Amino acid sequence: MSVEVEVNENDLAEMVEQVWESYLDPEGVSPLMQTYDENQASEVHSSVSITGSWTGHVVYASSLPAARRAAGAFLAMGPEEVSEEDLSDVLGELANIIGGNVKAMLPPGALLSLPQVVLAPEATARYPNAHRITGVYGIWDGEPVSISMWQSRGDNKEGAE
Amino acid sequence: MTRMRAMVIDDSRAMRMILKRIVTKLNFEAVEAGDGKEALDLLTAMPEVPELALIDWNMPNMNGLEFVTHVRADPRLREMTLVMVTTESEQSQIVRALAAGAHEYVIKPFTEGAMIEKLALLGLVPTGANS
Repeated sequence: MSVEVEVNENDLAEMVEQVWESYLDPEGVSPLMQTYDENQASEVHSSVSITGSWTGHVVYASSLPAARRAAGAFLAMGPEEVSEEDLSDVLGELANIIGGNVKAMLPPGALLSLPQVVLAPEATARYPNAHRITGVYGIWDGEPVSISMWQSRGDNKEGAE
Repeated sequence: MTRMRAMVIDDSRAMRMILKRIVTKLNFEAVEAGDGKEALDLLTAMPEVPELALIDWNMPNMNGLEFVTHVRADPRLREMTLVMVTTESEQSQIVRALAAGAHEYVIKPFTEGAMIEKLALLGLVPTGANS
């Protein structure tokens, strides 16, 4: 079964806001400021795959300093204290949280994978036969962060190029 | 006064730390496990069963739903209060977890205040702890 995804940029932005409020910026002093630039650079990224009623990927990408800052916020430590293992853990959890909430907005029957983390730019990612359908692109304390959804082409004929 | 114990079960160390901070603030003694299997092994070795478990759903080796099912089948663990803390937020999944024996359900992302409110509903928070 294939469905047309109904999750849009505003839905993603709302989820991102909740993540910032809960973990990355509980004081509300440093929100993600949207740039709407889908080509902004990244240095690390994480993703979860969704299969079933919709098939694709949810990707969290950022600069290394933004990833260090996120890990520091989760772990209550300074960004300079964050290890590579901490980075992987927090990036994976961010993809998991956002991906899980995306899945909840899809028709029943979708399954969520465990997260994958790549400490390399998003541009190095390979999502075979998938295309980006929406995303939130922004700057957090001067550093790029993005959350995007990639739909497998076989999942939606309209999405195929 | 004996401190209550909470087991925090999540494959993310960062999420375990966040949950540990919250329960420690509520004066629980916290124990960590990275998945359901590790949690069951720890419980087997513990002389006293924790009063509370906060359980992620999607974990390697043994997921949270399987863990809840195991706990509910074990008379020794029957008194544990089980709270799912997960991104699995569809109604059908919530119903599955509650039917399996979870007492409460917290959807990620959550704020510290929201988590404490849930625990207060279960009678596990001293009055005024969230103020």
